[in-house]
Amino acid sequence: MRKIHVGTLALILSFAPLAFGQAKSAATPAGGGEDWKALDHKWLDSERTGDMDYLEKFFADSYVLVLANGQSYAKKEWLGILRSADRPTLLLLDPENIQVHVFGNVAILTDHTTIKGHDSKGNSLDGEFNVFRVVIKQNGSWRATGVVMNQDLTKK
Amino acid sequence: MTRTYGFAAAIVLIIASGAVALGQASKKAAAAGEDVAATIAIMDHIWLDAAHNRDAGTLNWLFADDFVEVHPGGFIVNKQQQIDQIMDPQRTLNELHPDDIEVRYVSPDVAVLTDTTTIKGSSGGVTYNGPQRVIRVFVKQHGRWRAAGAGIVRIAAQ
Repeated sequence: MRKIHVGTLALILSFAPLAFGQAKSAATPAGGGEDWKALDHKWLDSERTGDMDYLEKFFADSYVLVLANGQSYAKKEWLGILRSADRPTLLLLDPENIQVHVFGNVAILTDHTTIKGHDSKGNSLDGEFNVFRVVIKQNGSWRATGVVMNQDLTKK
Repeated sequence: MTRTYGFAAAIVLIIASGAVALGQASKKAAAAGEDVAATIAIMDHIWLDAAHNRDAGTLNWLFADDFVEVHPGGFIVNKQQQIDQIMDPQRTLNELHPDDIEVRYVSPDVAVLTDTTTIKGSSGGVTYNGPQRVIRVFVKQHGRWRAAGAGIVRIAAQ
């Protein structure tokens, strides 16, 4: 139960960050005029619609998600959760303060993501997180390769 | 004590110099199938050794200018802030070392690894007392590997 709960939360977050980038005009087209907002929108839209084909392509084979409790999931593990019946219901995904650091063929995004929602059993997924995201450029396309989530305790 | 740190710093610099050589060689070697992953694993140790020894010179050399790190609790720091925290005399650090280094992605100019870093002490207002899960990102700039950033989260007790 605990694993699923955390997993769904992480799922939400993994989408939120990029999604949030789209909503933020501050999602600077940092390096090379890259449209980070469009990238983020696509990621979030795919999560909302359950576009697993897109996510399968968007997540690099090296993808790893590290949840706020330190538990990590490889690409196959995480997509397995997303395909399961325990998909979360997301009522709010509100990413803010997105910052982009572009280093050629890799970019690091940080953001603050507010989540409201619940898992398939009704457990709350509400929370605020500061998230570290890594995307790499492969064959001309940006792909997600890593996410580290932390509960945001900076204001406490 | 100062001499001890000085000696440790010298060792780190020697290792770092070797890493520079490795980094420079890897560009040619990458095409020749050289083990860039091994180089990056060494860089991970250099990173943490420099932090443990408060070696600002090596950290300045290692961190890319746009370096960013997210600490447990969600505290986000840039290059200078991270170095300042490491150099803060109020910082305590009894243990700092990486295990389970896994290089997950390598290209000619990018490498991403995960490790389990054991930290015991306090830094930047955060108290550490055990294992942390970390993603570290390295980029090759001007022929050598540099640290671009890291995301760190505490591994909750089971």
